[in-house]
Amino acid sequence: MTRPIGQHAPEAETEPRAVDGRAPDVFSSRGYVPMREFRTEDEVDFVIVGAGCGGSVLAAKLAEAGMSVVLFEAGPFFRPLSDFASDEYEQEKLYWLDPRISDGDDPIEFGANNSGQAVGGSSVHFQMVSLRFRPEWFKARTKLGYGKDWPVDWREMWKYYAEVEAALKISGPIRYPWGPPRGRYPYRAHEVNEAGLVLARGAEALGVGWTPTPLCTVSAPRGKSPPCAYRGMCKIGCSVNAKQSMLITYVPRAIRAGAEVRDLAMVGRVETASDGRATGVSYHRGGAWMHQKARNVVLAGYSIETPRLMLNSDTARHSQGLANSNGLVGRNLMVHSNHAVWAKFDEEIRWYKGPPSMATCEHWNYADDDPSKDFDGGYSFMSQGPLPGDFAGTLTSASGLFGDDLLKAMGDYNRMAGLKIVGETMPSPDNRVMLSDELDDLGLPRPRVTFSFCENDKRLQRHSLDFMSKMLTAAGGQNLLETSSTAHLMGGCAMGDDPETSVTDDMGRCWDVDNLWICDGSLMPTAGGVNPAMTILANSARIADRIIASRGNL
Amino acid sequence: MKDSNISDLLTKRTGRPVAGSGIGLVAATAALSFIAAGLAARRPDPHPRGLAKRAPAKREALRLSRDGAAIMGSSVLLDSALEHLRGDFRRDEMYIAPLAGAASMAAAMAEPRQNAAGRALEGVHIASFTTGLMGMGFHLGNVLRRPGGISWNNLFYAAPLGAPGALIMSGLIGMVTHQMARSSGRERRHGRQLAALTATAMLAETAEVALLHFRGAYHDPAMYLPATLPPVAAVGLLAESLSPRKRRRGPLKLLLRAVEALGYIGTAFHALGVARNSGGWKNWRQTTLAGPPMPAPISFAGLGKSGRAALDLLDVAEDREGGRAR
Repeated sequence: MTRPIGQHAPEAETEPRAVDGRAPDVFSSRGYVPMREFRTEDEVDFVIVGAGCGGSVLAAKLAEAGMSVVLFEAGPFFRPLSDFASDEYEQEKLYWLDPRISDGDDPIEFGANNSGQAVGGSSVHFQMVSLRFRPEWFKARTKLGYGKDWPVDWREMWKYYAEVEAALKISGPIRYPWGPPRGRYPYRAHEVNEAGLVLARGAEALGVGWTPTPLCTVSAPRGKSPPCAYRGMCKIGCSVNAKQSMLITYVPRAIRAGAEVRDLAMVGRVETASDGRATGVSYHRGGAWMHQKARNVVLAGYSIETPRLMLNSDTARHSQGLANSNGLVGRNLMVHSNHAVWAKFDEEIRWYKGPPSMATCEHWNYADDDPSKDFDGGYSFMSQGPLPGDFAGTLTSASGLFGDDLLKAMGDYNRMAGLKIVGETMPSPDNRVMLSDELDDLGLPRPRVTFSFCENDKRLQRHSLDFMSKMLTAAGGQNLLETSSTAHLMGGCAMGDDPETSVTDDMGRCWDVDNLWICDGSLMPTAGGVNPAMTILANSARIADRIIASRGNL
Repeated sequence: MKDSNISDLLTKRTGRPVAGSGIGLVAATAALSFIAAGLAARRPDPHPRGLAKRAPAKREALRLSRDGAAIMGSSVLLDSALEHLRGDFRRDEMYIAPLAGAASMAAAMAEPRQNAAGRALEGVHIASFTTGLMGMGFHLGNVLRRPGGISWNNLFYAAPLGAPGALIMSGLIGMVTHQMARSSGRERRHGRQLAALTATAMLAETAEVALLHFRGAYHDPAMYLPATLPPVAAVGLLAESLSPRKRRRGPLKLLLRAVEALGYIGTAFHALGVARNSGGWKNWRQTTLAGPPMPAPISFAGLGKSGRAALDLLDVAEDREGGRAR
């Protein structure tokens, strides 16, 4: 990777910043805020591994309830105002790019679409689409006849969706067109950009609903956050702090409440005692391996790193890996199909303006009875606004364009629009994370990820491509181009009601180890047809409340 | 959308975006209006006839009302110039609004008179009123053309339906005040009419403020003030227009002064709002367009003055009646 244009603190990626009793002030260019620190021999109440959507919410809520918390993060602690460049390649520093072995019929590509390696995790570079699960999906097996049931009632999740939406001041429509009524979003929806209006025109032509997308970036000032400036660089990290990422919301909350954040600290093993219970974690920071003692360990590293850590923490007592007596750790990994259709328009669209996905259609998440629906599960799709490098890559990989041809095609960049799905895939035990024989720089086994789409996934993809093509044509698009990819990760350590068929109980507590918890997207038993961020956040807020309520029995 | 010939011409001549030259054209016209207004303002009718000569109290009251209309006109001038600049003056018609605002302001500042110049002034007020109505039609068309039609997103972000209302009102108040000045006596009736008109304008203005502050999610509690205080004053004015009561007017005048003050305080708050946008005032070329509109709140100052003028007229009427009684 080439280094940097206009960046004045490259040391963030090599030297821990949250040290000496202070942490970076994310609302300043170079300031700090005070932070409580714990000694490694202190037995803290909770060690949380991973400062993304799962770990940050949990850390904030537990610390606010008076518990001692150390939040570990393998990535750097950035200050968006000074560390983020308006450059797609520089900003690759936000992704988890350590090599992973990816195989199966449809190997997953890792990086921008499904990982983050920074305090705040992938919420630092996510596209801020903030949708809720359809209520029936929490009982997908019972009510819709596919996938699995969640061990949680939708009404409880609904309550926590509202909690995290309020905490992040989601800017969304006054009335959401699908599903049961939800309260009004805390901030108003943003003005839909031209790319979004293409979706709107298409939806009105085809007679399906559409809505301004609920987005996790503020449409009016909030504290030290200015309203969104519509720069369109959201996917490479918001450098104005309008995006309400974990980095500028729950993480500062956690620090204020007395939690410690350890950046550039890679946890390699969960340590266990002879009775099988967790005693703390071994982690690598500042060039040395260290050990932090803890009464409880929470894994929040997402669907690859959480299972990897459990599998790598095997002992004589946990010979298949930690909390893996039923062999389900790492299994039932899911992605979202991310297929898209692109089209050229006569008029200027300038789709890079504003957040990339300003209009959404969830029609196919709710249209159970439509005769053309030949698949289980659902998909939503949104308008698109890829940055030039991103879109050039899409063109090259989809149609092999290169050189002058690519240059010519990119000449139409300002007149392009596209629609892209977030399509549910089915959980399958064969889609899984394992450990490979290869070691990374720290001597930890690299994960091996095996993934294949099933027939249902492929029917869904075909259906979505046909529908989106129809919609783009109806909106005036020409020269249609179909592309395929994946986004997001779900599952890998599913929660459930039955110790035989799940890794944790309904509050993320491992069936096998009663002081080992999981709190991230790997808990999800099904993927749903919407972006997972809000569901992960809501579930984490719920788990936090459950832990606080049962603190006497920990 | 139809392209603007004027903007095209300006862009072609300078080779730069329309912003600089477009706003320059508006500024030049506005400056001419200001000069015209300065010349016309305060110069009394050389041939005063009728009441104006005999009843300075009424004239003073109406002058307050004209000040109100002038402030509203200046708000239209600056606000529409800013917002239409934000819209790149994409249609020729977009130049009309700031020009009409400037004309309305100038006409309101001029002393009412009976001669041909007076008829010209009245013509300007009628033209402002008509331009406002047409503007509203244009804005409605803009909303309806967009996907979603009359939807919250379009009401928030498409051409604002309420904005041309300020021009309608400054024209209407200017026109009515001018006519009142020319006719003798009838202070009570004129006071009641002006009170009703101002109250209506205040309620309409509040509706727009409420909508746009709702768009801003009332993120600052101060944003509730202009959505709550003016309607109270408007109700008071309506009560006065139905049945004037002297003892009610004292507190109501105070309230109207508060509404007027809200106009100035609001401008300061909007300046702070601009500062809270990314880059703050250092980035003014973006933030003054993206942030809360600085020229919008002063229209409340105009309406506050108009409202007080109505009450003054009622006072004048009662003083005269009282005098007669004594």
